[in-house]
Parts: sequence; C-alpha cells; structure tokens
Amino acid sequence: MAVARPPRSRRKQMEAIALYPLDWLEERSGLVGAVKYFLFRKVPGDTNWFQTLGSATLTAFLVQAITGVILAMYYTPDPNSAYESIKHITNDVTLGWLVRGMHRWGASVFIILMFFHMARVFLFGAYKYPRELNWIIGVLLLVLGMLEGFTGYLLPWDQTAYWATVVGINLNGTGPIIGPFLSSVLRGGSEIGPDTLARFYSIHMLVLPAAIMGLIGLHLYLVIRLGVTSPPWSKKAAGAPWIEEDEPEQPARKGLVEPTPRGGAAK
Amino acid sequence: MSRVDPEQGEHKPDLPGPSVWPIGVAVGVACLLVGLVISWWIVAIGGGISIVFGFLWLSDLSGHPVGARPAAAPPPATTGPPPAQRRPEGPTTTRSGFLSVATLGLGGVIGALVSIPPIFLAIVPPFLKQSKKPVDLGPLAQFPAGQWVVTTFMLDPSEGAVSRRTAYIRYNGPLKGQPSFTIISNRCAHLGCPVQPLGLVQPDKTKTISTTGGEVVTTIPVLAVSGFSCPCHGGAYDTEGNRTAGPPVRGLDRYEFSIKNGHLILGRNYSVSKVDGAGAGARIHKYDLTGPGQHIDGWEQIFYPIQPPH
Amino acid sequence: MSSIEERRRLFAKYKEDVKTRGKPFFPNAMFHDTVMSLVVVSIIIGLAIIWHETANGTTAGLLGKEYDAKADSGTFSFVPRPDWYFYFLFYLLRIFKWPDSVILGTVGVPTICLVLLLAVPFVDKRTERRLSRRPVAIVASILVVISMGVLTWKGATATESLASENVKKVPTWIKRNKLPPAAVPGANLFAQIGCLNCHSYLGTGGGYSGAPDLSAEGSKGKGIAFQIAHLKNPASVNAGSPMPSFATLGDQRLHQLAVFLEASKGGK
Repeated sequence: MAVARPPRSRRKQMEAIALYPLDWLEERSGLVGAVKYFLFRKVPGDTNWFQTLGSATLTAFLVQAITGVILAMYYTPDPNSAYESIKHITNDVTLGWLVRGMHRWGASVFIILMFFHMARVFLFGAYKYPRELNWIIGVLLLVLGMLEGFTGYLLPWDQTAYWATVVGINLNGTGPIIGPFLSSVLRGGSEIGPDTLARFYSIHMLVLPAAIMGLIGLHLYLVIRLGVTSPPWSKKAAGAPWIEEDEPEQPARKGLVEPTPRGGAAK
Repeated sequence: MSRVDPEQGEHKPDLPGPSVWPIGVAVGVACLLVGLVISWWIVAIGGGISIVFGFLWLSDLSGHPVGARPAAAPPPATTGPPPAQRRPEGPTTTRSGFLSVATLGLGGVIGALVSIPPIFLAIVPPFLKQSKKPVDLGPLAQFPAGQWVVTTFMLDPSEGAVSRRTAYIRYNGPLKGQPSFTIISNRCAHLGCPVQPLGLVQPDKTKTISTTGGEVVTTIPVLAVSGFSCPCHGGAYDTEGNRTAGPPVRGLDRYEFSIKNGHLILGRNYSVSKVDGAGAGARIHKYDLTGPGQHIDGWEQIFYPIQPPH
Repeated sequence: MSSIEERRRLFAKYKEDVKTRGKPFFPNAMFHDTVMSLVVVSIIIGLAIIWHETANGTTAGLLGKEYDAKADSGTFSFVPRPDWYFYFLFYLLRIFKWPDSVILGTVGVPTICLVLLLAVPFVDKRTERRLSRRPVAIVASILVVISMGVLTWKGATATESLASENVKKVPTWIKRNKLPPAAVPGANLFAQIGCLNCHSYLGTGGGYSGAPDLSAEGSKGKGIAFQIAHLKNPASVNAGSPMPSFATLGDQRLHQLAVFLEASKGGK
C-alpha cells in the first residue's frame, strides 16, 4: 500500500479523509452502494406529481410511527387511567397536544393518501403485469391501515371511542361461524373489560405496525425491482405498446389520432 | 462495488418434492387448537392426526415414502434442464437431503415451541373462566309495580367502572306468590349500541345505593315508557323488547333474577327471539346468550352454530 | 386479454426504454417526492394546530372535540359515531335495515369489496393503460367514488329520532307552527318522551307504525279535555287504538301536552 504515492492536492486529501467513513462502511457492508443504487436507478423521464402519492403515504406512516412511539411514553393502557393520561398528554405535557394532534390527524391523512395512491395506481393501470403482487400487498396495507384506525380509536377511552369499538367488535361477531369466536378474542373475554384495552393497545402499537413495516419493505423492494410506470397519456411512455419501437420523437401528436387497429390488437 | 446479481446461475437449492401430507398436519393442528377451546377429547384426536401426518410428511421429505403414493413419484422429465446438470454430485444428495430435512424439521420444532405458547395466550384465555357472578341490585322496594327503572350496576366490582352495565327493570307484581320482574338489557340486538328508553327519564329522582360486595347500583325512574330505540342504526323495540322496526335480528336480551333476603339478585343474561304477551304472564322464547347481530332462530341461525362461552 | 408472451415482451421493452431514455430517480423524481412530503407534514401539523387552537377539551372546535366525556359502559343516552373513514360502513349498516340482511352490511359487502380489490389485476389482464380505452375501469372508479362519497356524506349527516336530537327541533316548531309560550313545555315533553317514534311532526320522526301526523292536530277542534282523556287511555275514546297509555305522566304534564297539541295548527 504505502509505496511511492503520487503527490496529491490538499483538496483531494481532504476529500479522501471526509469520505473515509463511507468507504469503510461500503467495504464492510455494501450499504453505500445499495443507497446509491436506490438513488440513481433509472425511472421513466415522464413521471409526474401524481406519482408522489406513494412516498407521501410513506411519510404519513413515518409521522405515525414517530409520534406513536413518543405518545406511548405517556399513555397508560388501563381503563381506569387511560382517559386521564390522554387528558394529561393534551393539557399538561409540553407539546403533548401537538404530538397527539399529529398522531390523530396523521391517521386521517395516512388513510386518505392510501386511497389516493390506490386510485392513482388504478387509473394509471400500474397494477398490471408484472406488478400484480405489489397491488395485492397494497390492498393488504390498506386493510392493515384501516385496522390501525379501528384499534387506535379505542385508546382515548372516551364515550365515542368505547361505543364505536363496541359496534366494531360486534360487527366482527356477525361473521359466519368464526365471527362469535373472533369477537371474543378481540374483547379478550365475553365482556369488554381491562383486557380489551390492553389487547387493542398491543395490536395497535406492536402487531399491526410490525406487519405494516414488513409489507412496506416488500412494497418498496418490488417498486425498485419492477420500476415505476409512465403516465398512460405520456407520448414517451416507457414500454407502451401504442408507441412505435423506433419512432422519432417529433410526430407524437399524430400518433394519438391515427386510426390504427392497435387498440384492438391489445385485447 | 458489487450489486446483487439477479441471475444467480444454475446453483439452485435442493428443494424437497411436493407432498400432500402437510395438509393433514394443518388439519390436525387446527383440530388441536379448536379442541383447546372445546374439549380435551378433540385435542387428543387433533394431536393424533398431526403426529401421524407429521411422521408421513417427514418420511416423505427424507425420500422414503411409507405409504403407496404412485402419482407423484417421479418428477415429469418433459421440461427443465436435464437432471445431470442439476445434481452434479450423486453421492452427496442423500446426505444433503437428510440435512435439509433435518434443518427444516428442527426449525419447525423451534418455531412451534416459541410460537404456540404465545398464540395460546392470545387466543385461549378469552374462552376460559367466563362465568358471571350474581349481582345484588338492592331491596325490592326500589321497584314500584308497573314502573320502569333504569338500573346501572357493576358486573364485576373488582374491574371497576369498565364493568358497568345498564338494564331496564319493571316490577310486574306477584306471579303465583313470587315477585315477577322484567329485566331487559340495554345492549341493542343489532350491534350492541346502548338502547334508550322512549319515555320521560327523571334524572332528578336518581338514587344510588351500595349493596353487599361493594356494588354501586344507580336507579333512575322513567315515566310512560312506550318502547326502546337504538341511536346507532335505528332499531326499535316495544316495551317487552320485541323488535318493531329497524335492523335488530331479534328481541332485546334479558336477565334472569332471583330474590334473596328481600333483595333483587341479577342472574345470568340470556337471549330472546320474541316475547308473546306482556308483563308477568309473558311467554319468553329463551335462548343461550348470543352476541348482537347473530340470529338465534330462522334459517340464518346456521351461520352461528357454536357460541363461545359467555 | 393479452397473452403472457406479449406482456413479457412489453415489460422487457419497458426495461429497455427506462435504461435508454430514463432519468435517475435522484434528484429528478425525488425532488417532487420531497416537496409532496413537506406538504403532507405541513398539513398534518396544521390540522393538529387548528384542532388544538379552536377546541378545548370536550368543547368542540373546527375539527371537533379533543376528547369526549370519559367512557361510560353503562350509559343509556349516548349516540355513538365512528371516525370519518368508517362513515361509509356506518351508513351501510343503516341501509340494511331488515334483520335478514344485517350480515350483508356487516361482513357481506366489505368482504365482496375486498375480494374485488384483490382480484383487479387478475380480472384485467390487458396491457392497455390509456384511460380512453378502459371504459369499464373508468365507470367502475366513478361509481366507487360516488358511492363512497354519498355513503360518507350520509353517514356524516345522519340523525336519529332521539330525545336529545328532537329537542333541538323545538325552536323550529315554535316558529313554523307559531306556538304560544304556553305550548312550549308541552313541545319539549312531546319531543322527549318518544311520541315521535310512531307519530310525525313537521317532518320529524314517525314512519314506523302508521300513526297519524300531528302537525295540524289542533285544527281538528277536539279540545283539551279530549286530548287529556286520549293520552290517559287512547282506547277509551278511540276504540282499537294501539297507542299505549301515558297516564303515568301525571295531570300537569298531560295538560301541557294537550295545550301543545291543540296549539299545533299545521305549519306553512
């Protein structure tokens, strides 16, 4: 190594020193390369604002995860003190109202964004081959997200929370055959009691988030592996059958009006 | 820098062939878990099934089929690369085959040991020890004849406020020398919302008493009750708890009662499909307690063949 | 339906197109993502601030209460509502108001929706992605948006014939039926004690049992004494009436009710 090094400029040396930790990390883990691959992978040049809804949903989820972890430091999952702890968070703890508000409204934003993101994927036809699996994972994430909403709704232990949960649990109870057993498991017994709240708390902050994080990981892996879809109306849409293989870019407008039998051919 | 190479080449792991025995194991395990709830006999049967099929599966995986399985014996040689390419070293296949089966099997055992107790803890306790204790509602004098009284009590004082429940109680006068009561639960038979009395509630006449065992019972008289109705989805009931309109699938649940030392004692609650007649002489079509929204009569009852212990 | 070979070929073409004409994710697309995420976080913090600043504990602000009263499992006068994103399900349960169809609203329709959602990529196997050539997809998405929107809206505005909600209508009755002050106690009583569960009054309540509308009861000239006698024992003055007796209300309240009924001349 240390043989006759060519003279280097001071700037180069500084750069080498600054980058040394990254090189160290890369040599031992390959993580820098993975991040570089993620950042500099090619995506179609015509992606648009609608395609930011997925990452916006992820942001909303991260807001939920971060605020939720901190709220758990002040919340007590016991029927006799849950309500008081929510009041305490809202009224006494410094900025408690803000973190609770972010968690409460972040939930609504998260759910709205999931629906918007799903609508975008549907309208772009982005669920088609080979992205079927990612659509299914997305639907599962939507269901898990709604379940987060359902389990989290009980935690403030106010009138609305309690009675909405009673209805929700009984709704599950009407499922054929296993329904009554499912509602007993959700309640932790035949009547709503202290176990119910502890159960919902555990499901809300451990079981479902773990499942959601795992599925988000898979979801992103598939996005990176399969690539992002071009908007269907784009004149340069990647891989679109309605755009000729080696067509030069300028007569694109003509291609839309042209009465070719291509629409039929795609059936 | 090396990225993950998508084409890993021909080096594929030595996977065991397809087998039908896991289905039997799954059935056995399911049977076992159901048995834990219902009866130890079914646990034994389920355990037996899982062991037999587990043994068949293991022997299948290790390449020595016990039973005759003619259909799935040799993999069809129509597609795929020639077998010589896949398994270059003949003598080691038995050894690696054994090792992969052993690893899978041991992994399965570890997984079962670690996951079955927690899953048991999550699912089974809700079905055990679910019996209810009788509740003392205080002296009979609180309930004037023909008068509806909203009565709020605790199912289990040790659990605190969360076990508070409300029933609508009417003293019907004596029947064959015994006091007769109509005690209707305020849990809607649709989805369990709190049913409200249609009448003039008199909060200024609220009385709170403590009875034996630290139970706190609150009574509020209601005048001119013409029925009950549910604020959630519009269910309506008459004064006997029969459904008159809306989505409830049956009448309102009721409570059994007894009289002890001049006190009204609340017993088990039960479900009611309908009530013929009214008051002391009413004929109640009585069923075991069933969750809201679940049919107990009519053809729909086939959806709910078994009820968990209430 | 496009053959699997065709779909594979097009995906290979997509990969090739992205390789040759695509742009790196960073910074082009990622810039948009970052801006959008900033918007999302700002909206969340903004909502949290508006919620806290306008509401105060159990007093509702622009975005509702910070918390409701403490849970009371023994209540008998509370009207539960779910969070807004379950309003569609809440209203669906009101639509299926026959006992035989309850299971459709609780598990049937949600399960069907879920199965349909999961089936989407397996039903639609064409490679066509242009909206102008996907009429079924367009119609389906419009129907879904409209039905979810309507159900959510109906769920948000749903009311129930309950004492607490009916009493709020009394001022409207006073205005429309020009009720004198003497009739107001009777109107409050009328709204609270469940009369509206069978009868209707100026468009409120009723509908269940075919009981008559009472908006213009006072224009029939029956008189206070008749009204009181009828309330005490409906069948004695109106043979075969299924209406229950309200005698337990006591003479003073019965008189108030009668005054209210006689003052009701049918609003314009």
